[in-house]
Amino acid sequence: MVKYLAQRLLLMGITVTGMVTVVFFLLRLIPGDPAEYMLGDYATEESLAALRAELGLDLPIHEQYVRFMGRAFSGDLGTSVVTGQPALAEVLASLPWSAALALAGIVIAIVIGVPLGVISAVRQGSWTDLGVMLVALAGISFPVFWVGLVAILVFAHELPLFPALGATSSENPLTRLHHLALPALVLGISVAAYIARLTRSAMLEVLGQDYVRVARAMGVRENRVVYRLALRNALIPVLSVIGVTFAWSLGSAILVEAVFSRPGLGSMILKAIFARDYQLVQAGVMVLSLAVVLINTSLDIVYGIVDPRVRTA
Amino acid sequence: MTDVSTTADTAAPTRRAFGGIRSRYLRHPGFMTGLIVLVLISIVAVGAPVFAPYSPLETDMLKTLAPPSADHLLGTDQFGRDVLSRLIWGARISLQVAAMVVLISLTFGTLIGAVAGYAGGWVERVIMVGNDILLAFPGFLLALALVAVRGSSLDSVILAVSIAYTPRVAAVMRSVVLTIKPRPYIEASQAIGMTASRVLFVHVIPNALPPVIVVATVSAATAILAEAGLSYLGLGVQPPAATWGNVISDGQSYIISNPWISISAGGCIAIVVIALNLLGDGLRDTLDPQMRRYAGSRML
Repeated sequence: MVKYLAQRLLLMGITVTGMVTVVFFLLRLIPGDPAEYMLGDYATEESLAALRAELGLDLPIHEQYVRFMGRAFSGDLGTSVVTGQPALAEVLASLPWSAALALAGIVIAIVIGVPLGVISAVRQGSWTDLGVMLVALAGISFPVFWVGLVAILVFAHELPLFPALGATSSENPLTRLHHLALPALVLGISVAAYIARLTRSAMLEVLGQDYVRVARAMGVRENRVVYRLALRNALIPVLSVIGVTFAWSLGSAILVEAVFSRPGLGSMILKAIFARDYQLVQAGVMVLSLAVVLINTSLDIVYGIVDPRVRTA
Repeated sequence: MTDVSTTADTAAPTRRAFGGIRSRYLRHPGFMTGLIVLVLISIVAVGAPVFAPYSPLETDMLKTLAPPSADHLLGTDQFGRDVLSRLIWGARISLQVAAMVVLISLTFGTLIGAVAGYAGGWVERVIMVGNDILLAFPGFLLALALVAVRGSSLDSVILAVSIAYTPRVAAVMRSVVLTIKPRPYIEASQAIGMTASRVLFVHVIPNALPPVIVVATVSAATAILAEAGLSYLGLGVQPPAATWGNVISDGQSYIISNPWISISAGGCIAIVVIALNLLGDGLRDTLDPQMRRYAGSRML
């Protein structure tokens, strides 16, 4: 177990270093002078020189890289050129909004997706299976921002059950929850469709295994086969499915935040892109990606504890 | 199920694996539905100048935000442009993005994955660490960041989405190649003195392709959604060009009074994506039951 834990953490360290490297080179892909690009046509020579010095653009590329990595790992992700605030502080300020949306979305997705996937697998080939799979197919095929627009049209306008805006300045937790509900549902339903499809195939794989066949041949009741023998073993792949969908749901959350004009990491990154505030874009992309790596590593460690087979794989 | 695994182990598996199951495609309702829908939409996209009743860019300030009518089947947008014509021209962009992304990510992903899987050792380790790093980014976020840096254009979108999705193809390719490498015909080819690159191109890659084609089909669907998302956010192909994402974004401000603009564009995206997913599911079911393991979760 200690070896498994050490391996996971080492792998996470390599991945994080690699991701920060990718983000470093991303800014260098800007054609021409990034400083000029970020400050626009009306920038003064002094402000350009100051930004170049801050970014280290006058240094050779390997020195820039070492400096960038050193700063990144000590938590200095640069300064926002628009607000003048440290980029990391800006990112952390918008993080709770995204975390709430992603968390609520993934909970809704699990609650809807896992049972549907299990039912569908158990009744493979039935009308229920076909129905669930058609709905799930639609769920992964409609663009999430479009589903959001339709949800606003139907549930905020035609039937005024929810506010059309995904956020409020109110301190009242119930009002906040009310504003969060529709965006979270939209995100949750699209992720639920993925989870249902993947749960179904994980479940089918387990149901096709020899020990399930043996249990059935020995006359074990079907309910017991499905829920005691199969589902327990399918839970591991289902857990990993949830880990995989998490990264994807953070990508969708960017679009959901845009539709519902909700603050958050996605909206912040978008605003920074349009303002050419690249240090802020960098910081946002880095934090969002790190969140994914952290969650996936934690899930990996949880599987290792739950299922000893994973450790040797 | 058993016949697939036996064909895979014999000396000339490729032709038999494809030939023996051709009739199964025709009997797979999902595959056929997806194929027919895609062919029809491709015809409409290629023949856009013929099929579109109006120019997608022609504005008519006297007829802005007109409801659906005999003249304009899906109404007009805020500049008086015919929505149906914009959707027909938009099909070109979406299909072009899908085709190019599949071409690029399939070419590079297949090569990278095959070399990593076949070479093994440190070559494999180095390639796969790099691949896993790119995979760790949420795909849409990576595409978004690349477009932001390179500037918004059709080429940028294609390049960004391809870079974001190539590692997924490579990961699948490598795991398939690992299952092919120990097979007797590979060992036999090496024994008779074939060079590594010949074994790779003649035996390994062709036999590993079926699962990768499934992944490529799914990535075409993802590419269309990603392009639409980027266009919707204003980072994709720039207005006034007609793309489905742009039409949704144009209609967003009028979603209450003229819901048809955004709704019809979303419907177009969904129809193509559903068709591609049906095609992918059909290929997966027909080509090789084993590949269920690779196709789904790896794509996200």
